[in-house]
Amino acid sequence: MRKLLLVVASMLLLALSVMAQQQRTISGRVTDETGGVLAGVTISYPGGKTGTVTNAQGDFTLTVPAATKQLRLSIVGYETKLVPITGDHLGAVTLALDSKSISEVVVVGYGTQRRQEVTGNISSIKGGAVAQLPIQSFEAGIGGRATGVQITVPNGVVNNPPVFRIRGVNSLSLSAYPLIIIDGVPTFTGDVGSTNAPLNPLASVNPSDIASIEIAKDAAATAIYGSRAANGVVFITTKKGKAGKARFSYDGWVGWTKPIRLPKLLNAQQYLEIKNEGIKNRNPSATNLYVPNTDANGNMVDMNWYDVVYRQNAMSQSHSFNASGASDATSYYFSGGYTKQEGILKRNDFIRKNLLFNLDQKLGKILQVGTKLSYSNENSLISGSSGSLEGEAFNSGGLARLAFLTAPITPAYNNDGTYNVVDANIGGGKNTLTTGIYNPQVLLDLDHSNTESNHVQATAYAQLKPFEWLTLKTVYGIDYMFLNNDVYRNNINGDGWSTKGSSISTYTQLKRWVWTNTAQLEKSFGSHNFNLLGGVEQQRDTRERYGLERQFQSDNIFNTTQGGWLIDLSSGLQRRENYLLSAFTRLNYNYKEKYFLSGNLRQDQYSALAPGHKKGTFYGFSGGWEVAKEKFWSDGALGEVFSNFKVRASYGKVGNMAGLGDFDFMYLYRPLLYGGNTAMYFNQSGNNQLGWEESKKTDVGINFGILKDRINFEVAYYYNNIDGLILYLSHPPSSGLPSTVPANVGSMFNKGIEASVNATVLDIKGFSWNTNFNFSYNKNQITALADGLTELPFTTSSLEQTSINKVGYPVGMIYCVPAGGVDPATGMRILYNPQGEAEIYNPITGAYTYLDGKPAQTLGTKTAQPYANTNPKFLGGWDNTFRYKGFELNVLLTYQAGFSVYYGSNAGLRDQRYWNNSTDVLRRWQKPGDVTDIPRLINGDNVSNGSAYAISANVFKGDFIKLRNVGLSYNLPSDVVKLAHLSGVRVYAQAQNLAIWTKYPGPDPEVSSNGNNASGQGIDRNTLANGRTVTVGLNVNF
Amino acid sequence: MKMKKISVYTLLLATVLASSCQKDKLDPRPASDMPDYMVFETKERIASQYNGLYTVLKHGRFLGGKFQIANEVRGEDYLNERANNVTLQATWKRIVGNEVQEVKEIWSQGYLAINNANLFIDGMAAKGNSVVGDSLGKIYVAEAKFVRAISYFSLLQLFARPYWDGNGSKPGLILYTEGHKDKGNYSKARSTTAETYAQILKDLDEAEAALPKVNAGSTAAVTHANYYTVVALKMRVYLHMGQYDKVVAEGAKLVSAAAPFTSPGGHALVPEIAKVFQLPYTTSESIFSLPFTSTVGDYPGTQTQLGYYFTPKAPPLQGNGEYSLLPTGIISDKGWKDGDARRKLLTAVGSKYYMTKYAVPSPFTDWAPIIRYAEVLLNLAEAKARLNTGVDAGALELLNAVRHRSDPTVTFTAATLTTQQALIDAILNEKHIELLGEGFRSMEVTRTGATFAARATYVAVPPTSSAYIWPISSDELVYNKLCVDNQ
Repeated sequence: MRKLLLVVASMLLLALSVMAQQQRTISGRVTDETGGVLAGVTISYPGGKTGTVTNAQGDFTLTVPAATKQLRLSIVGYETKLVPITGDHLGAVTLALDSKSISEVVVVGYGTQRRQEVTGNISSIKGGAVAQLPIQSFEAGIGGRATGVQITVPNGVVNNPPVFRIRGVNSLSLSAYPLIIIDGVPTFTGDVGSTNAPLNPLASVNPSDIASIEIAKDAAATAIYGSRAANGVVFITTKKGKAGKARFSYDGWVGWTKPIRLPKLLNAQQYLEIKNEGIKNRNPSATNLYVPNTDANGNMVDMNWYDVVYRQNAMSQSHSFNASGASDATSYYFSGGYTKQEGILKRNDFIRKNLLFNLDQKLGKILQVGTKLSYSNENSLISGSSGSLEGEAFNSGGLARLAFLTAPITPAYNNDGTYNVVDANIGGGKNTLTTGIYNPQVLLDLDHSNTESNHVQATAYAQLKPFEWLTLKTVYGIDYMFLNNDVYRNNINGDGWSTKGSSISTYTQLKRWVWTNTAQLEKSFGSHNFNLLGGVEQQRDTRERYGLERQFQSDNIFNTTQGGWLIDLSSGLQRRENYLLSAFTRLNYNYKEKYFLSGNLRQDQYSALAPGHKKGTFYGFSGGWEVAKEKFWSDGALGEVFSNFKVRASYGKVGNMAGLGDFDFMYLYRPLLYGGNTAMYFNQSGNNQLGWEESKKTDVGINFGILKDRINFEVAYYYNNIDGLILYLSHPPSSGLPSTVPANVGSMFNKGIEASVNATVLDIKGFSWNTNFNFSYNKNQITALADGLTELPFTTSSLEQTSINKVGYPVGMIYCVPAGGVDPATGMRILYNPQGEAEIYNPITGAYTYLDGKPAQTLGTKTAQPYANTNPKFLGGWDNTFRYKGFELNVLLTYQAGFSVYYGSNAGLRDQRYWNNSTDVLRRWQKPGDVTDIPRLINGDNVSNGSAYAISANVFKGDFIKLRNVGLSYNLPSDVVKLAHLSGVRVYAQAQNLAIWTKYPGPDPEVSSNGNNASGQGIDRNTLANGRTVTVGLNVNF
Repeated sequence: MKMKKISVYTLLLATVLASSCQKDKLDPRPASDMPDYMVFETKERIASQYNGLYTVLKHGRFLGGKFQIANEVRGEDYLNERANNVTLQATWKRIVGNEVQEVKEIWSQGYLAINNANLFIDGMAAKGNSVVGDSLGKIYVAEAKFVRAISYFSLLQLFARPYWDGNGSKPGLILYTEGHKDKGNYSKARSTTAETYAQILKDLDEAEAALPKVNAGSTAAVTHANYYTVVALKMRVYLHMGQYDKVVAEGAKLVSAAAPFTSPGGHALVPEIAKVFQLPYTTSESIFSLPFTSTVGDYPGTQTQLGYYFTPKAPPLQGNGEYSLLPTGIISDKGWKDGDARRKLLTAVGSKYYMTKYAVPSPFTDWAPIIRYAEVLLNLAEAKARLNTGVDAGALELLNAVRHRSDPTVTFTAATLTTQQALIDAILNEKHIELLGEGFRSMEVTRTGATFAARATYVAVPPTSSAYIWPISSDELVYNKLCVDNQ
């Protein structure tokens, strides 16, 4: 028995060893998801030393030991794949685009760098992540995809620039928006529309033309942009032609959006009950009460003003095509697109037509030239004020507010079909009491406030490589915007009534040119690798604007400035310019690609700073260590656990001047008239010491991977110390200074932790699940304001003080009077005085008393306190991709936590004048003993609901988790596709904003009534809601 | 060799490219405003600034509108129609806190006018006088002092207790005579009312000495201060201080000894009072008015225009009808007869009356009358009446001159006004009727220690009430800790 076993064992052993020495040849073809072949893919096998590359047809042949179970396929830009060897001929193997994990080449300023050499903190997002989303500009699609990045889409008005913050708020008075570089040219940002329709310059880039988005956060990565880097730098690179045969593709989607989470309002019957109760509570013998109106059929008028103002099925569509290809000497990418997107607000649309052409051409051996030409024509259309842009919150014509304010008992049309108007306001029918402000139907029908933009972004470059180690490059870029505004306010109802109609045409021209000359030296001495960059750059901006305003129209038919009008006025006159002159250098050094050192230095001179203070020097240096490459690591136990491990740290000083007025440092006299004669008076106080805002950034990070890079982690700690914050100082009016004075006096810091995990959770039998979870924690605090100044209040739209910047607190604290609930004995609002004692407010007498009735101090903005933080403490996203055969399901959740929002609209929803209310007021206090949160209704009471001054009853936690994107796509099988002579067809469906889990009662906790203004963040005052969008799309590759 | 050539060319190219920067663009010049170092360089620019002294004064937030409106609606003559806090509802209600919009605006604009004048005076001393010459320079500086004086005087009427309260010892205004351009610590305490009046009179005396006597009836005479303007303002100032003898002394410079009353410069009451409030606004009755035209920037700003507030909405007038006239106010005065020409300056819309001295529709370019001859005559009349324990004949003559201009059928005599007090009351009443809508009522009430009469459900405000004068702007209190509020 034992002898038999021995023989069998030895025979088996023999067979095994023979088998081990046997080889087999595996062949196959590699394609991408659209069916196009992939050349240059590295084929290897785990543990093996040999490999091959696919040829131009995507075919490969590799001889491997017979025991090999898997082949490993990898190429830049695609996810590495392990393919089981099921036979000698594998057929077509598909590689998926590398949309989430670490890519190999990263765009840094003035060049690119290999990902493993980067010692700064840069996050990369592939263009594919934003390509087919129903958004107007790419920033709306990157929320939750990179650590430290907060994107807030402020409301549902289309083309509204989202709030964009990298690592918290880094400036108070100047812009906290990062520097956006598109193909090497810093581009205009913010709302440049100047009508009620916002215009975001970043919407000129068709998201499907974007190849990659790099977000640089620390000093090492951003200091090359020195004076503009304090808020972070975002690099956008558009697509170029890829080697191989010419590709042509079409992508189109169609979608529908509906507004979600609108507050529920009272109907006509409830309105009458509530409003008349309020009148009688104030004056029991009142005889002038609200009465219902009847429509033409004799039914009671019960208007749902939401139906008038909002679209329930806003339709959007987009079509784009691109053609690209590359040979040895030439590479080109040409694309065109058209999109029309309707917003949830009626008459609010965005239309864009754009063309992009990227061309690179080698001339001879050492010269290469190229150009990028992009033209985009955009139309941002709206009827009039939505009440949702910065400064609009209290506009009488703000449509979002009119939708919840206008009484349901009054109709849009009279029974004879004419508009229901009385002078400038909406009529009340049988009511003599006020029932609303303007008639939204008239405003939506007749007014318009449109912006058209023609945006040219172009660069041309020549690159000379006289020697292998020297590259000289000159790049000239332009960013020109030509804007035409067309505004009309009708003479029947609304803001235009008092001037008998008004029309404004404005022409604006924003022109920027940038000229950069760089020299780059790359040389290796043994294992020492050096890369030195030096350059000079000039940038010039000019801005010119003029316009015509006409009033008193001669006939209703005219609604543009060219019609028949009585009065001509000039308007919108402005002329600005600035100039930036810079020199910079950067040195990257590594030893054996294990130890990395990097340093950069930049000197900027900027025209908008005071003489003697125009120069600034900025620097950053960093180091990195690929610990996993060390012998002790790869040979030891740690190497078993961690397949890669890199430590890096950086420190530097960068600056900020975004949003600083071109002439703010000057002392200026304004020319005006005095009774027809020329006159001039002192109109602006300047500061002849005005200099840069400075930010010193520290960053320490660890990147590591386990399970053979199957799971990768990135953790970073950062500390931004901002000094010399420019604040516009106010002075007592008795000083007679005509304006605020900019001065470098404040300081602030942001510190936090970022972490992200990227993992291939499952990859078996054709089913794969990739996940990316990222998490950022940020703490912001103001450490100093001006001498003797400890707080800077902020007023929303110059009318309601809602926020404050105070030393020792984070930016933009909600500033309000603390309030309690309702006193069950009297039904009056409980408010707290600065000593913390409870008082109640009697709306009839206007008096404040303690709960026992004794007189107490008057409360108001003078007794308000910093109450709640508006900066999210935690934010991030969780992105999951599931693949099975041709199907792909993508689910993105985003979350923000640790912040509050001031829901100012709530004050309006409980307003005790003629305003309609939310159904919350139905649970109002009516008799002693009632326990509720709605006080006794007293007509004219402006305090208890938070209209006279902000109260904490309208402050809510904004923490949320949003199911932001769910996308399902299917790639048709290649044999089906080949029948139609196509190389790939993909169909997909997507939903955006599918669900929100939050305690915030308003439409959306991601909101901003004050635009990008950090001091007024987290305020929801009369803004439009957001919408849920569903799209279906088709992608065809030829 | 080829390498060397390439290197040389490359280096040349690099140098050329690197050095082609445009350094001058680092010092930009704004296209729409003038930097401060240029404004005293030429005669024309100084003349421009000289006009600009008044541009800041005539801003709708100060003497171009809101100051007069506040004085009018604080009184008992008007009914608020629009319930809008932006159009002085709080002032009308007599419930005015430190943060009320008009409180902050009037305070701030007044001090802008003062600082602008101070900067001008400083600049003239430093450089301007040598550019325009001494004689012209003296006139320019004198007018700047007039602007400063009338600004301080106007602010004093709203924000400080009247002179009679403690003989001017109560807190007045924060006084500055030097211009401010830079940021700094501008915490300063309030001087007393007496000290403020002293500064005002000092400025006016110095201006009087330097200004020429310009004849009445020209635009320059009406829109710029001259000798007569200053004397007229001095009369008003002394009247407010209760120094009636000085009023009479100044009056002698401006009013002839007997009717028809004229000034040496040709000022007189025009026969038709309506002409004072019509184009070209330069009758011989106007002593000082602030001009407006329909060019952008030369008419009052939104919701500050006198016509916007007082003229009703009904066409053809097209104001905004913010305030109508209460039937219980001055328009119910029995002595003010229907045939009086001044009744034609009121317009009926339905059952309501509106004060329509400012009838030009948008953009509301009616000139704002600040000082006119009728006020001068009535001030002199009151001063004379107060100095004479009986019924002063000279005062009666002046009073009748003003009344007869509009209503020849009413004559005041010593028989009908039997006591000194009756005469004074008649003069005050005449002033009320004559200057209705021109921004005097509140000043008149406080200077005479009267009570603001109750009207339209709002209670009376006696001199002891904290609502008798306005509180100090909250902006001032926040940034200037040495400034005390009014109690």
